[in-house]
Amino acid sequence: MRLLTITTALFLAMAAGASAEVKLGVLVPDSGPAGLFGPSARQAAQLAADDINASGGINGEPVELRFADVGVPPAQAVEAVQRLWRAEGVQGFVGMHDSAVRAAIVGQLRGQVPYIYTAVYEGGECAPGTWVTGETPAQQLAPVIPWLAENEAASKWYLIGNDYNWPRDTNAAAQAIIAASGGEVVGEEYVPLGSSDFDASLGRIRSSGADAVLVTLVGGDSVGFNIAYAAFGLDAQALRLGTLIEENTLAGIGAANAGRLFASMGYFANIESDAARAYSDRIAAEFGVSAAQPNGMGQSVYDGMMLMAALGNAAGSLDTAAITAIADGTGYTSARGEAVLEGNHVAQTIYLADGSSGGFEVVASFDTVPHGVSCE
Amino acid sequence: MGSIVGVNLALLAALLLVPVLGNDFLAWQFGLFLLYGVAAQGVGFAWGRGGFLPLGNALFFGLGAYGAGAVLGATGGALLVNLAAMLAVSLVCGALAFGLAVLLFRGRIGSGPGFSLVTLALVLIAAQIAETTPALTGGFNGLSGFPPLAGLDPFGDLYFAIVALVLIVTFALMMIERLPAGLILRGLVAQEGRLELLGFAPHRVKAWAFAVSAFVTSLAGALYASHQGIVTPQAIGFLLSAELVIWAAVGGRMTPLGPLLGAVAIGWASSSLRDSVAWWEVAVAALFLLVVLFLPGGAMDLVSRALRRVGFARRPRRASPHPAPPSRASHAEGTLMLTDVDLTASGVRILDGLSLTVPPQGVLCVIGPNGAGKTTMLNAITGRLPFQKGAVSLGGRALTGQAAHRMLNHGIGRKMQVPTVFAGLTIAENLQLAMLAGRFRWTHALRSEPLNWQGDTLHALLADPGVPLAAEMDKSAEHLPQGHRQILEFVMTLAPEPRLVLLDEPAAGMSPAETQNMVRLIRDYQSRSGAGILVIEHDMSLVEALATEVAVLHQGRVLAQGPLADIRANPQVAAVYAGGHK
Amino acid sequence: MDTLVLFTLNATWQIAALALLALGLALVFGLLRIMNMAHGEFVMLGAYAPVLTAQMGLPALAALPICLIMVGLTALVVERLVVRHLYARMFDSLLATWALSILMREGAELMFGRQFRNVALPVEGVTQIGDVGYPTYRLVVITLVALSFAALWVWYRRSATGLHLRAMVDNPALAQTSGINTARLSTMAFVAGCTFAGLAGLILAPTLGVSPGMGLDALIRSFFALIVGGLGTLEGLAIGALVIGGMQAGLSAAFSQTAGYLGVLILAILFLWRRPDGLYRRR
Repeated sequence: MRLLTITTALFLAMAAGASAEVKLGVLVPDSGPAGLFGPSARQAAQLAADDINASGGINGEPVELRFADVGVPPAQAVEAVQRLWRAEGVQGFVGMHDSAVRAAIVGQLRGQVPYIYTAVYEGGECAPGTWVTGETPAQQLAPVIPWLAENEAASKWYLIGNDYNWPRDTNAAAQAIIAASGGEVVGEEYVPLGSSDFDASLGRIRSSGADAVLVTLVGGDSVGFNIAYAAFGLDAQALRLGTLIEENTLAGIGAANAGRLFASMGYFANIESDAARAYSDRIAAEFGVSAAQPNGMGQSVYDGMMLMAALGNAAGSLDTAAITAIADGTGYTSARGEAVLEGNHVAQTIYLADGSSGGFEVVASFDTVPHGVSCE
Repeated sequence: MGSIVGVNLALLAALLLVPVLGNDFLAWQFGLFLLYGVAAQGVGFAWGRGGFLPLGNALFFGLGAYGAGAVLGATGGALLVNLAAMLAVSLVCGALAFGLAVLLFRGRIGSGPGFSLVTLALVLIAAQIAETTPALTGGFNGLSGFPPLAGLDPFGDLYFAIVALVLIVTFALMMIERLPAGLILRGLVAQEGRLELLGFAPHRVKAWAFAVSAFVTSLAGALYASHQGIVTPQAIGFLLSAELVIWAAVGGRMTPLGPLLGAVAIGWASSSLRDSVAWWEVAVAALFLLVVLFLPGGAMDLVSRALRRVGFARRPRRASPHPAPPSRASHAEGTLMLTDVDLTASGVRILDGLSLTVPPQGVLCVIGPNGAGKTTMLNAITGRLPFQKGAVSLGGRALTGQAAHRMLNHGIGRKMQVPTVFAGLTIAENLQLAMLAGRFRWTHALRSEPLNWQGDTLHALLADPGVPLAAEMDKSAEHLPQGHRQILEFVMTLAPEPRLVLLDEPAAGMSPAETQNMVRLIRDYQSRSGAGILVIEHDMSLVEALATEVAVLHQGRVLAQGPLADIRANPQVAAVYAGGHK
Repeated sequence: MDTLVLFTLNATWQIAALALLALGLALVFGLLRIMNMAHGEFVMLGAYAPVLTAQMGLPALAALPICLIMVGLTALVVERLVVRHLYARMFDSLLATWALSILMREGAELMFGRQFRNVALPVEGVTQIGDVGYPTYRLVVITLVALSFAALWVWYRRSATGLHLRAMVDNPALAQTSGINTARLSTMAFVAGCTFAGLAGLILAPTLGVSPGMGLDALIRSFFALIVGGLGTLEGLAIGALVIGGMQAGLSAAFSQTAGYLGVLILAILFLWRRPDGLYRRR
């Protein structure tokens, strides 16, 4: 119905000789391990397009969305991006996907079209024409670890993650922050992606005497690990902090297994603010029975879209050179709160939530946390 | 040859049209599918020609890609250096595949799922290593930052490099089919046992097939690196391996064009429809299922059947015959001796202290009741069954423990009890393979004259009125009546001119007239070549007509040996065995 | 001492879970020689039974009959439509069941969505064994598996159906002429094998995250357990689970998970190469 409305409006606009629309490419994972975020990402994008168009579009032109599934191997993702760009005239991309796909896309776009990356990731993206709203390890950990040290007596940390870039970089950042907050790292280990049995790791956690575990496992591994963790009653010994545990993962883990499970992200559905509540309400109203559970990964696309609009409007066009000239300091608001570009990353609000009840309850929030990425 | 050139020219024309008809994005897209197609051609070759299914070929694709990426990065994309490097990496992949296949197939693994599972395990290991050693491979985020080959623009001229690769590979694979290498591979798939008896080592033939498969796939991977500008662990993972198999299956694994077609068609359709048709993955899976169940030859099978019906059958060429080099089997000499052989299988002792001397010339007929161990004795001689005690030697050289495919070089030819011919091939092709036996060296694999070798023995046999094969050269051996099958196998056994011929019930299933024929042919061969012939038979008329000596086997040992008259008079023999007449 | 106790328990759990997972495949691949690449999807289907039960608002116990019906019916349909054509074609069975696995995965996604589901533990809490606390549910499952295997072994040796099965596996033509309805027996065996897989999913669901893609891991480990242990016998399955499960637990504890994973793959390769019949050979 809405698609019909937009199409009709555009047709009328074209027929009336009005200016063309701005086509934006939205890259979401519809398949693959992150496929469960596809629906919430798409819905976030559509809501954002509505909001942007309601305030006049980008430089007076309405936004039109073109979606592509990038949950596929990088070669295919890149192919979809090229098709949108070269064959369909997309003028800017907002992407929520993994770093391998991002690396491939950056290599193909080479800064010729603005590209905003919105997912939680390891930091360090400095390619020209690329801006990032996704949370960095520094952001997710710098305010949170000292808070946990002070409020939950977390001082002996065990670091466990999947064996690839993001967990390793996160743990590297964590080491420094833990030391600075007076704690120590009593163990660090990496497991292959797709692991199903964590008993050996859990044994090591127990014998290390840790009182806090930093979990950088992803997807099904995170779910499996946390279920087994609680089964062994380890939540009595140590709290858990996850930097990629959102509502879907928590649902998989289950309330019974989420004792003393904390998560640090830029967005939770239960944030107690008008903007956040409005977002959740609008998703429910707009999409009815097919409304996807709002979560940090999906909602991040909304933020990316907002940044794209803000940049486009401030620069007067979507030309990357023009945008680069004015980018620094551009800000936008969303359900997350306020965010502002510093360099090509965003300083934003970070929330610490407790998942013990089976849903996330925000226990602390930190405004304008610096992202810690320096691109020289 | 003409048709190969024609097909490839048509292919070239079609591929060159793409950037003309479309824009540079289309060429870029198409280029990717073509690369996948070449990789799938590698899988199709191993599966269709080698008869085994590699489930992990992305291993070689990824090795080619990572290798190319590394060298391109180090050398800044210089053309000649990188071409050489690509070739070198692919040769290494081929060698790796060769070694792997020899190791695996020499054991008891067979061409079945066991091999597939090993390749699957290997690609899983490789993907794991690729993901977790960023120093080597860039890890999860991949290897990037290298220029494309010779600075060719992936959206421009690199397409032509890809087209060149496609044509070279397709042409080469098509040529292989027309050459002795292709014939041997087809024989391997049709009847591995017979190929072994013709002196070819099956594990080495399969290894060559796997090596070619790996080489081709690796070349595709090498160009892929230039095309994409980034190599991630997916390029060396199980999912890609699986897709290669699906493309090869759906397109058709029996011809080089099939996997190309499959990759391009499915790849293109996927990229256009995946985002708009929610059921796309389901549709592809269902198509794959249908192909597996009902159309094993894939889409190209349909195409070639249609072409045949319209009249475009491949006319077999009659090239001029070449004189064949001498057969290694005809130089062998000596007496075959079994000494005190014990053979137990499945808990049953079949041969029990068997000692037999086969005279180097003349015909020895071996008779005995069912279960006496006659065929088992032949299996023990030719290395098909291992025996626990005793020894077998030919002219003083030990045959004990030697592999079955070596027997022909020792001068031993064998005709099996149940005729093993290459059922899927024509009679002409069966005979071509028989002519390669004992004369073939690996240098002959890619030359066309060995297919036209003519030898005296074969020529004489085909000219014989009792051999009804000359009129049916282009018929498939599959539908031959039993008698003709026996004769075909008999002719194939004699074509390499072995010095010791083991015939296991050569007249089984034959009419009395055909049997007389067979007797005459055997006697003619023996008198012409002076070979020693061991015949296992139940039909006493044949024994009477042929035998210079008779041996009676009973319960795994020789009961009596000597001229027929002596055997007949032997009361022990009469007690255990009454031979029949037809 | 604690570490040793914990390790022994962990290893036993790994072995029991693997034996449970691979049981269905032992029947389908070991006896019927169907390389069922959809084995993991049948496990997944069984794991979704409690989810469906909750969705339909039924009491938790209803999950068992729902699992049996859901998995059994799917297996029956699959056998009648697809597997029936494939009994002598091992390669083709590999490819066809793999296509099936894709279809089943997509089907599960359509029915249940892609997100993770949680299944509550039927038995909560931790049992103290010395100084070590071990999840009670796991101990229950281990016991269950051990008892079931014993019962199954006895049944296979003593019952008429077991005898018919062994006859059919040994010499199908002879079995048929002896009056055994091999077609019906094969169907029953296939359905039984898939149902065992579904039950394994049901039992293990509370210890894993349930999602449409959870089957692949189960598939690979089951295959390798059978290869190492030997096809066609319950003893082979037990030995295979022992070796693979034990080795993975051992390597993971001593070195790392990656070592465990790679170790299993390398061992499987060695066995395929050197001893394709596995450790336990049928006499």
